[in-house]
Amino acid sequence: MTAAAAPALKAQRRSLYPSWFYAPAAVIYAVLFLAPTFASLYFSLTRWSLSSAVFIGFENFAQFFREPFLIQGLVNTVVYAAISSGLKVVLGMLLALMLTSQIMGRGYLRSVIFFPVLVSTVGVGMTFTVLMHPTNGMINEALSLIGIKGPGWLVDPKLALFSVALVDVWKGVGLATVIYIAGLVAIPKDYYEAARIDGATPLQNFFYVTLPLSRPATATVITLSFIGGLRTFDLIWAMTKGGPGFASDTVASVIYKQYQAGFYGLSTAGNVVLFILIAVLVVPLTMFLNRKQGFE
Amino acid sequence: MAGLELKSLHKSYGDVPVIKGVDLTVEHGEFVVFVGPSGCGKSTLLRMIAGLEDITGGELWIGDKLCNAVEPRDRGIAMVFQNYALYPHMTVYDNIGFGLKLARTPKDIRDSKIREAARILQMEHLLERKPGQLSGGQRQRVAIGRAIVRKPEVFLFDEPLSNLDAALRVDTRMEISKLHQDLGATMIYVTHDQIEAMTLADKIVVLNGGVVQQVGAPIELYQRPANLFVAGFIGSPKMNFMAVTVDNVAANAVTVSGKDLSPVSIPADVTGLTLGDTVTLGIRPHALTIPTTGSVVGRINLVERLGNETIVNLGLTSGISWLAVLDGDHNLATGQTLQLAFDPTSAVIFDGEGRARHPA
Repeated sequence: MTAAAAPALKAQRRSLYPSWFYAPAAVIYAVLFLAPTFASLYFSLTRWSLSSAVFIGFENFAQFFREPFLIQGLVNTVVYAAISSGLKVVLGMLLALMLTSQIMGRGYLRSVIFFPVLVSTVGVGMTFTVLMHPTNGMINEALSLIGIKGPGWLVDPKLALFSVALVDVWKGVGLATVIYIAGLVAIPKDYYEAARIDGATPLQNFFYVTLPLSRPATATVITLSFIGGLRTFDLIWAMTKGGPGFASDTVASVIYKQYQAGFYGLSTAGNVVLFILIAVLVVPLTMFLNRKQGFE
Repeated sequence: MAGLELKSLHKSYGDVPVIKGVDLTVEHGEFVVFVGPSGCGKSTLLRMIAGLEDITGGELWIGDKLCNAVEPRDRGIAMVFQNYALYPHMTVYDNIGFGLKLARTPKDIRDSKIREAARILQMEHLLERKPGQLSGGQRQRVAIGRAIVRKPEVFLFDEPLSNLDAALRVDTRMEISKLHQDLGATMIYVTHDQIEAMTLADKIVVLNGGVVQQVGAPIELYQRPANLFVAGFIGSPKMNFMAVTVDNVAANAVTVSGKDLSPVSIPADVTGLTLGDTVTLGIRPHALTIPTTGSVVGRINLVERLGNETIVNLGLTSGISWLAVLDGDHNLATGQTLQLAFDPTSAVIFDGEGRARHPA
């Protein structure tokens, strides 16, 4: 490079011209994501209707936390997220192990497992509401055939949240399985062969090789399903509407109820609370899951 | 320690045979190298010995045990993999002790064995590190450590140096050789690198197309290759070949000549050779010299002057090219005509089927 060419190139680098290419994406991002985010931060501090907004400081937050069933909603949210992500990890791993082994109809079974992911959540919710009906539901009828009296899946306050979480697992485990399959097939065969020469049993293979080496997949599954669980709304609303009573209310369903009642400022404050809740739980979790372990 | 015996070993994948009847005896304490081009079946054969591939036919004896259906862990073997197969989530200490842990060896015994292996391989200071924090050579040593600690009867190495750079490869090769001397263990080593084969082996097994081409000491393979394949594969640069015609058959020699070769008498086993037969003449590049009058004439295509030797690529009139490695420095020019000569006793005659006709 000549001495004269160097400053010219530097000037070119500083030119605004390339930045214009970012502009369309930046505008879309700003309009659809940044503006609503900052607007909701502002509106959470106001009492507002569609036409006017009055600034009231942190009053909405104070009122939100005074909601009688909010604490239960918060606990429910975390319990729901923990159950659904925990079960997705365990079942996803087991299904992935099965679907990466030499079994008949492997490709077909992979499609079957993944299919529920493609179905609309509300459709799944409505279907399972019918299936889980305490007296006429197919699940309890099937149980009664083998002499078991099925519980009131969605009407028993102690059970409703767990029932919805189970349906969430049914619907979401396909995605977890696919992530695990990708993780498992990426583990080099050499490790298993070395373990085989060392005399590892299938169980030792799993605990010493498969499980630790599929940690990146586990981290992805936990993070995705835990965040999904924390912000769950559609399935809860389609199946129980937070009931019976407030037994299966989550933060998102509480917020929705406030919107329905016309308390826009209050529910926007609820959204900010949910945002903070997710950040507070998920950021340390992902930092823990993705900590460096001397991997190559 | 134990030896091995392979009796008519076969391996097929479906209808495709990859190992076509290998018979081989490995004495205990011997260092045997399987060598051959890619796809010749050398790694498959090693993996059959390890128990990682099923044996389709024949018998595999390790020591006095028939091992065809024996699980790898019960064969008394340890294997060093091409990619080392070190568990990235375990420290060097845990990697080395993994087999012992699986075998439920008491902790104190395990610890002393791990430290002993680390001492032998001079890597005590690396024990707390993870594989990701080690260099290629250090990982290789850990992989060897993992094998040593099991005190196997037979060590198996699957192209262990192929991921190392040239300088490190030479060092590690010497370390493996020293390890063999120190442990006195039976070692079977797979490589496609003939320098590794020549320097490490007590015995080389040359494979091609799933068939053993020749078994013998390195220098024997170099000096008395059994056929055209071995002659071309062992030795670097590879042996020069030329199709020639038999002009005269004497008691222990044939006189041959060709388009690029004046008649020359070569000592050979003449059984079955007759006048007018087309045979192949083989000459190592190092056996060619520049005389005042020579029997091979050609035009120089390329000259590489290395100081201590000069490598000449010579285009012969028939269209083939030969390599000559001449001692010392020669100021030769591309395009120049050059005559080369060779000592007839260093030449090899291969018959129509490619078999070497070494004189008795």
